[in-house]
Amino acid sequence: MTVRLEKVAKFFGSVRVLHELDLDVKEGEFLVLLGASGSGKTTALRMIAGLETVSSGIITIAGRDVTNVLPKNRDVAMVFQSYALYPHKTVAENIGYPLKIRRLPRPEMEARIKDVADQVQLTPYLARYPRQLSGGQRQRVALARAMVRRPKVFLMDEPLSNLDAKLRGHMRAELGHMQHALGITTIYVTHDQIEAMTLAHRVALLEGGKLQQLDTPANIYNDPANLFVAQFIGSPSMNVVRGTLDGNLFMAGGTKIMVPVMGKVAEAVLGVRPEDCALTAPEDADVNGNIYAIELIGDHTLVTVKTESDMLTVKAAKDFSAKVGNAVGVRLSKDNLYLFEAERGVRVR
Amino acid sequence: MSIFESKKLGEMAVGTKIVVYGVLGIWTFIVLFPLYWVLITSFKLPIAVSGGPFYLPFVDFLPSLHAWSYIFFDLGNDTFRPYFNSVVVAVFSTLLVMITGSLAAYALSRFTFRPRLLTILIFILAVALVIVLVAALGVNWLIAVTVGVALAVIGAGMFRRTPSPTLGNPDILFWMISQRIFPPVVAAIPIYVMFQQVRLLDTHVALILTYTAVNLPIVVWLMYDFFVSIPKDLEESAELDGASRIRIFFEIILPLSKPGLVATSLLVLIFSWNEYLLALFLSTANAQTMPLLVAAQNATRGPQWWYMSVLIIIMIVPVILLALVLQRFIAKGLLVGAVKG
Repeated sequence: MTVRLEKVAKFFGSVRVLHELDLDVKEGEFLVLLGASGSGKTTALRMIAGLETVSSGIITIAGRDVTNVLPKNRDVAMVFQSYALYPHKTVAENIGYPLKIRRLPRPEMEARIKDVADQVQLTPYLARYPRQLSGGQRQRVALARAMVRRPKVFLMDEPLSNLDAKLRGHMRAELGHMQHALGITTIYVTHDQIEAMTLAHRVALLEGGKLQQLDTPANIYNDPANLFVAQFIGSPSMNVVRGTLDGNLFMAGGTKIMVPVMGKVAEAVLGVRPEDCALTAPEDADVNGNIYAIELIGDHTLVTVKTESDMLTVKAAKDFSAKVGNAVGVRLSKDNLYLFEAERGVRVR
Repeated sequence: MSIFESKKLGEMAVGTKIVVYGVLGIWTFIVLFPLYWVLITSFKLPIAVSGGPFYLPFVDFLPSLHAWSYIFFDLGNDTFRPYFNSVVVAVFSTLLVMITGSLAAYALSRFTFRPRLLTILIFILAVALVIVLVAALGVNWLIAVTVGVALAVIGAGMFRRTPSPTLGNPDILFWMISQRIFPPVVAAIPIYVMFQQVRLLDTHVALILTYTAVNLPIVVWLMYDFFVSIPKDLEESAELDGASRIRIFFEIILPLSKPGLVATSLLVLIFSWNEYLLALFLSTANAQTMPLLVAAQNATRGPQWWYMSVLIIIMIVPVILLALVLQRFIAKGLLVGAVKG
């Protein structure tokens, strides 16, 4: 089912936590609300769930205006960061609670509980209590409880953040597969860009209560709308060099770099991702400097180069070897340079 | 092993063990000896009580059932009626205070209240007016109260939009508990006069209502703490699962609060069961409770220790049994697995 937010805003007292937000989530889409803490992403999700009132604007689910509808009548299911399992109910009772409220006949209820328990591999644990389960199992109970009644929309509030790193990776893949198989519209809140990039059909990046960019993961990465998006996405984050832009020439200190855009900006920022930089001999480099740090990550090496005014991180081969302090040159891939106005962060195209 | 880790008794050094068992033994003796003393006194003849300390039945003195037969057969109904009164008053006041108190505590823990000082002031003025009307002008109190309520409602409505400072939930909570700062005797005479006016003196209703009011702050205070500790996520999750507020309260909140409810109701039950001062004011014959009967044994003939002991024993036995039965409900750790990973 579709979810639409039209100019939805939220104030807590006089504090504006969400500026007028427009979102249009398509049928069966996996939309990720991505942002740092305090960006308004969780507030937006809670407003869609109905747990938070809307200060202004309209929310529609499947074409029906639900702005002032109680959560229980919105037919959405939510997975909480804390899982929010009922500690006095068994796993089966937890999963079946939404069905019990809807007064499903007992045989059908049991069949459906069994069915979802199978899907999330919880069948052996149905008689246990949440306190007897591991973190990953609790997480799956929460998921099963959301799935069991086949809601119009899934809402997920950082569902993986309480799991350890290895289990998180596994559950991420499971979640992606499950959403694909069920085809239920999903809105997912996270601060983890990897979750956003891997799971989302589209990512809505929020900062300071404002939508920065709403696009596919590939476009968010390859075509960032502004300096904030460019620096938020990507790990390690994009290198930035401060300077001036005149025509298609970017100047910073003594270096001049030809860039693929035209413009005249007194205070400009040149952005380039670590994988679009290469280490070369100083004589055929765009920027010169000395090696500041070398970090072997595994399949690649991150080399930090200190130039006259900045630090540049370069993604090098895993067998890269050099000494800290060595003079080195950095060549930038001409097609993958991004330019921004320094003050407002607006992209220069 | 760190110093903060608790040791099992078996792992202790012999010297430590002796000290630990010694201290525990002394404390057990201090707690149990008065009970033992009451028990043997109930089987003593007056001469065995006044003739000096006798400790061991059959050795120091010859036990007799005279006190038991006096309390159960000679007094008969004069024992059973106060006993029945105590049961009725304690059970009903506990039920009433637990229902009202836990609902109030839940509301205070989940909703934000902003009572306006101006509205409170109008209410206080209305109360003052009623007092003046009744006391100084001799108006019938029913008429005066009706006028007072009407004026308070109209006044609060009229000044609804006037700006005024507001109070919050912590203020309400503190106001509640502040009721217990005064010694109850401060309120005893006004309460007496009030029930006299409504002709309820010496009835169960008077005692039940009074004990409910006296226990309300404690219930609100304790249950508030309990409800606050229940994560809000659980309720929100139930809300999204489709449950109504009432259903959430009864199916999610109450089961999780069982330990708190049991402990608190035991506490207020024991208070009502043992209460003496207010019962002394409010009951004379029909509604007399057990503590009054115990005290009455120290009347014109001097303290009748043997009768008192019998009464005390039949008073404490049900409470001890109840505590033993309810003990398993007062278990901690019920919330584990709710929201922690």
